[in-house]
Amino acid sequence: MSTQPSLTKRQLRERRRAERVAAQRAGAAAAARRTRGRRLLAAAGLAVLVAGVAVLASSSGGTPGAAAPPARTATLFDGIPERDGVLGDPAAPLTVTEYVDLQCPGCAVAARETLPALVRDYVRTGKVKLEVRTLQFIGPDSVRAARVAAGAERQGRLWPFLEAFYAAQRRENSGYVTDGFLRSVAAASRVDAGAALRAADGAAAQERLDRANADAQTLGIDSTPTFTVARGDGRPRVVAAGAQDPAALATALDAELPR
Amino acid sequence: MTRAVTAVVAVAGLAIAAYLTIVHYAGGEPVCAVAHGCATVQQSAYAELAGVPVALLGLAGYVAILVSLAREGEAWRTATAFLALAGFGFSAWLTYVEVVRLDAICIWCVGSAACMTLLAGLSVARVLSAPPPGLRA
Repeated sequence: MSTQPSLTKRQLRERRRAERVAAQRAGAAAAARRTRGRRLLAAAGLAVLVAGVAVLASSSGGTPGAAAPPARTATLFDGIPERDGVLGDPAAPLTVTEYVDLQCPGCAVAARETLPALVRDYVRTGKVKLEVRTLQFIGPDSVRAARVAAGAERQGRLWPFLEAFYAAQRRENSGYVTDGFLRSVAAASRVDAGAALRAADGAAAQERLDRANADAQTLGIDSTPTFTVARGDGRPRVVAAGAQDPAALATALDAELPR
Repeated sequence: MTRAVTAVVAVAGLAIAAYLTIVHYAGGEPVCAVAHGCATVQQSAYAELAGVPVALLGLAGYVAILVSLAREGEAWRTATAFLALAGFGFSAWLTYVEVVRLDAICIWCVGSAACMTLLAGLSVARVLSAPPPGLRA
């Protein structure tokens, strides 16, 4: 004997209709979820496509086909003595050391915008002698460039070599630092290219790289360009990081100069 | 709730992108208190895409995300997800460039990349959790 009360015809109709509506709603919801999933997948696919195109443009963009080295570097350093990579009067009261990576675009900016005033107002006037430490953290091209720069240093032409290199700098780690490229930079800076390339593989060049890395580690320098200043034989300290406004660097140097 | 949080993150990203865009056109350097590679990153070949500063592209992206957030409907929610996912993909590439190719970290760029990552997650969650059309109260 059934315990369920018998339903009237009207009640049965209403129940069937409610079941039909619920089934329609469930179907519509499932269809909506499927449509939403497809839309989201399409959006994600399009996003991957857009980001991929941007990445391709970014990785192959930058400064393709950058200018070849100038036929001859400017006269910024002409007439200033350079010995063992030290530019200027060895008896100058301050030593400014620039930490660079030859591939670093900021270092090229500093060479164009910061160094000329520094050389004109402080190195030529005997207040500052200038040193450089060529770091090699950007990549293999940096290592090769730093080694050949060490070869140029042995010829007393490090600073003109650096200037010519920055003028011809191209996109980082694009493999542009070939022997041909280095020869053209050497030619622009009046460096004996053959001798510089031979010296690049020697122990003296390795010593220069090791010294640069060790000095940077000692001072905690982890970006380029960074400028340090030392009074006499005193301990160097960081005065500026990044390509500097010459006036800001001058203020820092004036504060260090003996009164 | 998801929409409000998404908007807050997008506004934070917008502020960062606006700052970097201003610095780019002013020719200065970003204040770089935590890491010290901002100038290297800002002046690298990767700071522009087809001649357009990537900071400006980011700014446009955040504005577009906020506009899509202000609109109702499934299509706009999907548009937000598309923008955030594309931004996330490109930000991931730029972060890779900073770490591997430039070995210089720009803390502002990392902040923007974090915002895009959050936006990607939030916007996808918003699409998936929205009630089906026609079943809303």
